[in-house]
Amino acid sequence: MSSHAATAGPTDHHHDASTSTGIPNKKLFMWGFLASDCMFFGALIATHLIYRLHPPVGTPDPRDIFAIELTSGSTFVLLMSSLLMALAVNACQQGNVATTRKMLLGTIVFGLIFLGVQVYEFIHFVHAYGLTTSSSLFGSTFYTLTGTHGVHVALGILWLALMYIRSFKPRDDSAGQGWILRGFFHFLTFTAMVVLSLYTLLALVHGYEAGNGLAYFFSNHFLAFFGCIALLGGLIWFAKPRGPVDFGEANAIDVESMGLYWHFVDVVWIVIFPVVYLLEYVVLS
Amino acid sequence: MSDSATTASSGEAPAPEGKFHVFVQLAMVLAIITGLELLVVYMPLENWLIITLLMIMSAVKFVAVIWIFMHLKWDKRFVTVLFVIGMVVGGGTLWGLLLIFGAEHSTPVGPAYEELG
Repeated sequence: MSSHAATAGPTDHHHDASTSTGIPNKKLFMWGFLASDCMFFGALIATHLIYRLHPPVGTPDPRDIFAIELTSGSTFVLLMSSLLMALAVNACQQGNVATTRKMLLGTIVFGLIFLGVQVYEFIHFVHAYGLTTSSSLFGSTFYTLTGTHGVHVALGILWLALMYIRSFKPRDDSAGQGWILRGFFHFLTFTAMVVLSLYTLLALVHGYEAGNGLAYFFSNHFLAFFGCIALLGGLIWFAKPRGPVDFGEANAIDVESMGLYWHFVDVVWIVIFPVVYLLEYVVLS
Repeated sequence: MSDSATTASSGEAPAPEGKFHVFVQLAMVLAIITGLELLVVYMPLENWLIITLLMIMSAVKFVAVIWIFMHLKWDKRFVTVLFVIGMVVGGGTLWGLLLIFGAEHSTPVGPAYEELG
């Protein structure tokens, strides 16, 4: 890392003298958006709390529904994804493309784990407890709040994946725009891998819950499992180095703006986790 | 950490290598606080104390992430002001709604609440 820092020079990534505010425009835009998102989530959290403080008759006890250990685990995973995102920005500011890619991939994987847990949680709540958006006010506000946060996470993962693929744009553009087509298939492979691996993982979890062994899983979901392995191979092939790339320290502001969004998603969960989950075990006890 | 604290006061960001260690140390602290949050819930303490502790720990995590991970510490103060405006309006909306609906005359009525007496 130090070698990159030595060649990068004393670039100030926090200030931009060419703008009237002295702040890079992309960063200023992102902070403005995040400030507005504070109001959005503030309203959603308030709505959930109001209905929790005035529960109508027949409201289910969330402590019978929540799996607090699982949610705590996913909270930890999201925190660690924030660390990887910060390290990705740090690496990009030093022009270290290889580390930036690794950290972006790590952030994506951790984000997917969080999202997978949330999908599993929602499916479990619906099937095991009949908690839907229309079954009770608690269901309505809970799914709206945590679902909106989940959509933010999903959009963040999409953005991270696009940035990862963007990092492969070749510096030599004499070959035309062929890299865009390759990037498109790279993205398709990535998306298919995400969908299929989530399906496979959920099938494994549900099989385990139903008391079925690994033999049952492989006999029923072998194709999906094999597909995951094949798609992983495809991703590794797409990530093979093909000469110098048009991605580096100059793109640090793009990665940083994306990082701001990702950290904000983490910050929102830092509020949602105690307010929606932990407080249930205190106030109602 | 001391290096970064010194440079922050002078408005300069630390070297990227210095930031790397700050980020890793902060992540460890955040993980520990998350564990403490879970512990506190099951401790035999008064409800008001547990709620206060949860709110404090949540606020510490919130500020730590926006200050360090989101680089507010090293960015121009204008960015901090911009975000704080959003936070104050969002938090004020939350607090205001809770107060309005917590008022005695705002207690919901109707068939859904009748059995509560």
